[in-house]
Amino acid sequence: MSFARIAGRVRKGAPLAQADGLALFAHPDLMEVGSLANEARERRHGDRAYFNRNLHINPTNVCVSACRLCSFSRRRATDAGAFVLGVDEAVGKLRACLAAGQRPSEVHVVGGLHAGLPFDYFTSLVAGLKTTAPDITVKAFSAVEIFFFHRLYGMSIEEVLRRLMAAGLGALPGGGAEILSPRVRRLICPNKCGADEWLEVHRAAHRLGLPSNATMLYGTVETLGERVEHLLRLRELQSETGGFLAFVPLPFHPENTALAELPAPTAAESLRVLAVSRLLLPNVPHIKAYWVSLGLATAQTALWFGADDLDGTISEEKIYHQAGARTPEGLSADEIVRLIRAAGRVPVERDTFYALARPAAAKEAP
Amino acid sequence: MSARRLRLAAVSFLNARPITHGIERGLVGKGRFELWFDLPARCAEAVAEGEADLALMPVASYAAARGELRLVPGIAIASRGPVRTVLLLGDVPWEEMETIVLDAASRTSQVLVQILGRARGLAPRCESAEHDRIVDLVRGRRGGLLIGDACFAASRRFAHVYDLGAEWTARVGLPFVYAAWAGRPDALAPGDVALLQESLALGLAEREAIARGFAEPNRIDIETSLRYLTRNIHYELGASELCGAAAFVERGHQVGLFGEKPALRFYANEARPRPAAARLSPSLDGLLSEAAAGRRLSFDEGVALCASASLHDLGQAADARRGHLHPHGVATYIIDRNINYTNACTTACHFCNFHRSPGDARVYVLGEDELAAKLRETVDLGGLQVLFQGGVNPDLGLTYFEDLFRFMKSSFPLAIHGLSPEEIRRLAEREDLSIPAVIERLVAAGLDSIPGGGAEILDDEIRRRISPRKCSVGTWLEVMREAHRLGLRSTATMVFGFGEEPRHVVGHLDKLRVLQDETAGFTAFICWSFQAEGSRLPLQGDTSATRYLRMLALARLYLDNFPNLQVSWVTMGPAVGQVGLRFGGNDFGSAMIEENVVAQAGAVFKLSASEIEACIRWAGFSPRRRNMRYEWIE
Repeated sequence: MSFARIAGRVRKGAPLAQADGLALFAHPDLMEVGSLANEARERRHGDRAYFNRNLHINPTNVCVSACRLCSFSRRRATDAGAFVLGVDEAVGKLRACLAAGQRPSEVHVVGGLHAGLPFDYFTSLVAGLKTTAPDITVKAFSAVEIFFFHRLYGMSIEEVLRRLMAAGLGALPGGGAEILSPRVRRLICPNKCGADEWLEVHRAAHRLGLPSNATMLYGTVETLGERVEHLLRLRELQSETGGFLAFVPLPFHPENTALAELPAPTAAESLRVLAVSRLLLPNVPHIKAYWVSLGLATAQTALWFGADDLDGTISEEKIYHQAGARTPEGLSADEIVRLIRAAGRVPVERDTFYALARPAAAKEAP
Repeated sequence: MSARRLRLAAVSFLNARPITHGIERGLVGKGRFELWFDLPARCAEAVAEGEADLALMPVASYAAARGELRLVPGIAIASRGPVRTVLLLGDVPWEEMETIVLDAASRTSQVLVQILGRARGLAPRCESAEHDRIVDLVRGRRGGLLIGDACFAASRRFAHVYDLGAEWTARVGLPFVYAAWAGRPDALAPGDVALLQESLALGLAEREAIARGFAEPNRIDIETSLRYLTRNIHYELGASELCGAAAFVERGHQVGLFGEKPALRFYANEARPRPAAARLSPSLDGLLSEAAAGRRLSFDEGVALCASASLHDLGQAADARRGHLHPHGVATYIIDRNINYTNACTTACHFCNFHRSPGDARVYVLGEDELAAKLRETVDLGGLQVLFQGGVNPDLGLTYFEDLFRFMKSSFPLAIHGLSPEEIRRLAEREDLSIPAVIERLVAAGLDSIPGGGAEILDDEIRRRISPRKCSVGTWLEVMREAHRLGLRSTATMVFGFGEEPRHVVGHLDKLRVLQDETAGFTAFICWSFQAEGSRLPLQGDTSATRYLRMLALARLYLDNFPNLQVSWVTMGPAVGQVGLRFGGNDFGSAMIEENVVAQAGAVFKLSASEIEACIRWAGFSPRRRNMRYEWIE
């Protein structure tokens, strides 16, 4: 289908098909694709660009999954560099953050698939974070971890989620989706839960009233068709549940991984992926340009290529930095505000649910 | 000189008619000119023999005259792609031709067919024949080179037809210049250049009538002859055309067809800078689409875009403009080496953390051995050029540079892109010589082109604040003007982040555009943000990626007479550099060879060149290596 017809469909609000997605990836004019995505983005969000104050905690890097795409994990608890944070230690990171005067509205917790920890560890961790700061949303455990808990502890997915929610879990992060295709998962993360299972966890979470995000890891071995398929599967689940808050495409960082021979996706490709995502996912409210993985410059530019969110302050990012990310491990809210303003957008601080959105205060201007 | 009539010899082909139109019809310079028509090669002879003062002559004839001639600025017969009237004809493909009969009428075409043949690995025997006999002589394995209006009819008669204009541009990436007005340096009186330019302007407006007048008697259709005058041929001698002509002279010299390779020098340009055309649309959107289509922006319009247009709108308009200027889907890059011969500097700009005061223990001046090692490495790694810049070191006089350049040129096949206006101005002061005298001596010693550094923001108020001892705006421009007049090409830069406002940015671009209208000597514009880390001067204003992209896009729209815009990945990072190729940039700059590469040098270099190519590809372009003229290198 021609670009003009696709643009027509987008403007009428008609959903795009697989072939349209492929055409958008193949369209020679990146600026045209970006412009169309920008139109869709501005229709929905105007000039607003969102960010939050958040804290990343990775409780463990011990992981049985041994994905080829990962440089963060250690196979065994006894391997060099392997760690497991005690519950107090993990909660201590939040306390330290509060003591330093930071005001995070969200703690983002993801870790390895550690077969030697009791389920209590995770519920205590969530409860510990929640009691330390009751106003903060604990967004924890990717679908891959939830599915692992379901298998390891012999509980249904719903049961796992209910118990974590009872401890204070407020949302699921979107990680571990990689590419929702059996072929790609066999090649890059054969021990992770399958595509259907990943979707099943999110479906279950949404049914229980637990919102979530969704990611896509691009730039490994997937075809463009598989990328489009991934987006369409997310769109389908979203039309069923409406539970996704944001979609977060993640460029693959090959350094220190078993796929180090692959070239990293370039900025132009990342901008296109963000733009196509905006166009193929009209029912997902937010498209996030995750600055840690994209780099500040590309993330900032992405605010004109379909993205409306830069993620947050983060404080201590570990996973991408193991894979050679050259971004800082954290940013101040002032720095994020400055980047957004410099891009010609209006910074809006949000919470996990984009509910308590408020314009950034003037004093945070550069 | 002005007392008698100026004798003009022009080629008799259709493509020259727009140039001579005003004179021929007596519409300009009544009584000033005496004009006659002849075949191209004979036009050049007329000047050589003193029968004509000025001739519309082939570039090859200009080259053969060994620098004794001057060109009239702004006027040429050129093509960027198919020309239709310089054809290699044959019953068999080029590869199978044993002999090519050359058209005695045009020396340029003779050289061109040989350069292009060699590029294909072919060197058929050449014979020369009279213009009128070429078509009859083509048979079997004997091809023929035909030029001029006879091509329209002849092209239909042969199985194999090669358009040499198309061949040249597809291979080199630059326009081809067939002919330009040239004469002896003292041939023109004040006002003549303006009259010649006016004659062309009148002719351009009458192309339809000229095409009609030609079509009927020559039995070709009007559309073909009009398309020829409006699409195939163009009449501008701009920066790209100058580079194309210089590339032709250089390539001809390399294959031994020219003994010399003279610089392209000009009569003084009397034309006033082209004003911005009337604005058709009052809205910002309208302004952007007009700019994207190539309408010249006024200063106020530039300020409005700089202040108010959105990032995406600027980018899209700039990308569209870039697409018009560079329709081949190619983005270029160069392999060169940055050599800073000294860090001693008395200019001591506030923003600079490289310089050391003369006498400081950390001062260095590169010795010949050190320099030779760097140059050897550059050559080994496929480098074509060195960017040779330093501080302004009062210990180093003109003879230091002359000796060094002679040494470099005698031992290494590298172009010297060196000495920014500030360095040249200080040399002139130190030696008590004029700026052109310094440049002429440097050129004689081997200087090839001048980098556009030290422009920062071309505004004296800002310069006094950030670099009080550096040359003024006027001097910076004057050095560039003199260099261009002497046939050197240069780049131009802009550094932002010094608290400049839109009027300063657009003012900077405007000054460059005005000079470019006069000299056509700038090959490219490059901008980047002030790198404040470690500097005494605090950063002022936004220097984030999006501001850079806005600047780049604005420059692409405003600098309508600059053929190339480099992205600055070295300062802005590869991601921004790559995205910059979609915001008006068409060149990825330099794969700079690391300063202290040793054993792994090959690997380092290879990786960075391949990374550059990957960046270019993912931005949707084919990568091509180039030299300083933006000529594609095989």
